[in-house]
Amino acid sequence: MLAEIPSSTVLGVDGRPVSVEVHVSSGLPSFTIVGLPDASCREARDRVRAALLSSGFTWPLQRITVNLAPGGLPKTGSGLDLPIAIGVLVASDQLPAGLLAGRSFVGELGLDGSVRAVPGIVPLVDALATDEVVIPSSSAIEASLCARRGVRPVPGLSFAVAAMRGEEPWVDPPEPSVVSAAAGVGPDLADVRGQPTARLALEVAAAGAHHLLMIGPPGAGKTMLARRLPGLLPGLDPAHRLEVAKIHSTSGSGRALGLGGAPPFRAPHHGASMVSLVGGGSARVRPGEASLAHRGVLFLDEMGEFPTRVLDALRQPLEEGVIRVARARASVEFPARFLLVGATNPCPCGGGNGPASCRCSDAARARYLRRLSGPLLDRFDLRVVVPRPPAEAVLGGVAGESTSSVAARVSAARERARGRGVSANAELSSGELDELAPLDPSARRLVLEALADGHLSPRGARRVRAVALTLADLAGAEPPLTDDLVATALGLRVELAPMLEAAA
Amino acid sequence: MTGDGDLGHVLALASLPRMGPGRLDALLAGRDPRWVWEELRRGGHGLDPVVGPRCGSGWAEVRAGWTAGAVAIDPARLAAAHHGLLVRRRGEDGFPVRLADDPEPPAFLVMSADLPDAPIVAIVGTRRCSGYGRDVARELGRGLAAAGVAVASGLALGIDAAAHRGALDVDGAPPVGVVATGLDVVYPVRNRRLWSDVEERGALVTEQPLGTPPARWRFPARNRILAGLADVVVVVESHAAGGSMHTVTAALERDVAVLAVPGPVTSPASAGTNALLAEGAAPARHVDDVLTALGLRSTPVPAGARREVPAELRPVLDSLDATPTSIDAVSLRTGLDVVTLHGVLRRLAALDLAEEEAGWWRSLPTQRVGHRGP
Repeated sequence: MLAEIPSSTVLGVDGRPVSVEVHVSSGLPSFTIVGLPDASCREARDRVRAALLSSGFTWPLQRITVNLAPGGLPKTGSGLDLPIAIGVLVASDQLPAGLLAGRSFVGELGLDGSVRAVPGIVPLVDALATDEVVIPSSSAIEASLCARRGVRPVPGLSFAVAAMRGEEPWVDPPEPSVVSAAAGVGPDLADVRGQPTARLALEVAAAGAHHLLMIGPPGAGKTMLARRLPGLLPGLDPAHRLEVAKIHSTSGSGRALGLGGAPPFRAPHHGASMVSLVGGGSARVRPGEASLAHRGVLFLDEMGEFPTRVLDALRQPLEEGVIRVARARASVEFPARFLLVGATNPCPCGGGNGPASCRCSDAARARYLRRLSGPLLDRFDLRVVVPRPPAEAVLGGVAGESTSSVAARVSAARERARGRGVSANAELSSGELDELAPLDPSARRLVLEALADGHLSPRGARRVRAVALTLADLAGAEPPLTDDLVATALGLRVELAPMLEAAA
Repeated sequence: MTGDGDLGHVLALASLPRMGPGRLDALLAGRDPRWVWEELRRGGHGLDPVVGPRCGSGWAEVRAGWTAGAVAIDPARLAAAHHGLLVRRRGEDGFPVRLADDPEPPAFLVMSADLPDAPIVAIVGTRRCSGYGRDVARELGRGLAAAGVAVASGLALGIDAAAHRGALDVDGAPPVGVVATGLDVVYPVRNRRLWSDVEERGALVTEQPLGTPPARWRFPARNRILAGLADVVVVVESHAAGGSMHTVTAALERDVAVLAVPGPVTSPASAGTNALLAEGAAPARHVDDVLTALGLRSTPVPAGARREVPAELRPVLDSLDATPTSIDAVSLRTGLDVVTLHGVLRRLAALDLAEEEAGWWRSLPTQRVGHRGP
């Protein structure tokens, strides 16, 4: 007899529908799985048999063949255990085939018949179009991020069968409000004392989606500042929230929970490998930190300490918003549109309180800065010096503006950007800037002088204009851009040109 | 010596990749540049015994670069491009006498004007100087130029630029810029204005043909010319192993007197100069020390013109001093918000009253600082 159970598997960060076909026929007892299962998928044989027996069902002593269709798609993970078990029950006449209508199944089985969570529940559920999806109860909260109806959490195989037969009522999944409550409240900007330049840079970065590089000595609070950036970004809309949930769900079960609707914040250590940053892996292709930061903030502390190769790998996502990982078996695309925040010391000694107190040799300085040079550095529209705050600001200073009041300005600025047909000013092309961000005469003179002095490249001049436009949006000012705004945009773009003569 | 007709070939040879003064000298020793050029166009194997040993195992690669260059460069056009500049070959009239007997003389110099008929003092130092160093360099430049001494420097950032700015402050001897690129390649670009001021009022000198880009190894070579042209070398500030020490070494090899400006013993920017003093270099405490080393008598130095500062810029200017300060600190001192502050600082910079480096701001002296010795 034949049974066909709808289920799904994960490829990259997307779910793909899989049809689990189970055929039971007379012959020598055997159990085969075909259709490109990976190792953990093939091990389903032993888990399914034990789970069936411990749940009080009989194991058919017949020839059992499981086909995972479509045959060309690699199947990964243990989420197909539950559909295989259900298929065996139907194909061996222990469960009426009629109960399958409109139902699909995802879940790993324990030997005791319990149904366990699998990574990637969000894309797995999202890929299934049936009226009801039966999932592990431990994945229920995560699955609710899909915002779909008909999710049926089950703790074990026997419960699933009983509920299908109508002997037990289905358990309702948790309300979405429970999910948002699980997400913590991020750190507040009011904790930052002083540091007006860095605060302004954070605000501009959030409003215009401009990448930000902070240059400052250890202890200046670069990490503290970066952690407050996600709170300034606008919350995720439902479509983006699903995109983000899929990525986080794929990378490991439960991780998507902490987010709620807030933009993610990822801070990989500089020892991170290429694969952990951009994604990859041979057995199961997983998203890296750059994708986990999708629609949020990727923070690289001690940026100069990251291997050049790893930093260069970020150029594709910075340009295209995706990372393509090609492997022999499959090629997958991970979304990776993030706001990049880098932090670095100005030189190996940290630079203390300004250039005059630096004790590094010229050659050491040049070597240090050269690691940051090149195309990646050019991506930072905002490059600011973050000095150690003076003692009076730390101790006696009044609390700074809170995250919520800055976020309100950011959201108003984003609203104006949307009026120009982009989500943030960083996306404006140079032609659009010419039209939307005219300069008043004194502002124009400033830009021309900076170009002539070599402070700015032509590309840099365009970016300065975009930043000045964001500053105007935040201030509620209308173009043409004034010289104060352009001067500030120039001041927020500190020159870090590695000095050629230094090693001479 | 060869005639005028082969000038283009000499310039073209100097334009080849990885061509330094030593290799150029070896190629031209007693050979007709036109023959060398044609030999390179034929593959350059005839030059193997001439420069091969100098280049060691890298010779094949160097030769490949040269032969490719010899196909791409047109000597006649290169010579025509130098029209309007002075190209002085060694051994010809107009080649600086001081360099004629140099241990490593350049084969030719490209100059925007002839060197001034005056004593030349090279003022050198680190690009990462302190406010103190910058002020001293400017003051020395001003005083020397006023005393009729030509100030020579490398047109780099920091001390070099400050010395030239000082020399341009007064109506004195013309400044001399000795650079490591072609005269049409301004490096560093930030000094563009200074570069053209020196070109206009003094002379720019280089041993590179037009179009030569900056390369790290050319800077020490440039320093030897600077040392060779100078009667006295003054080091204002230098880190312990800074690039200025190349100039000092080159000066000592050429028996050129080296003076060093004493600095605070705690300042890393003065570590090199203080070490020179400890080794016996004469101190340069003010212009008179340098003039004495030249065998000249001191002359009064005119004060720099005081500038009118618009009232609205005053509070910010007063909150700055010679030590680089962050915007945050200025904001704390003046109570101004960051956006307003940036506007004011740019206006101060436009008036040459303040300057920014890597995000840190300092004020520039508006009048003479320091005092003259007894």
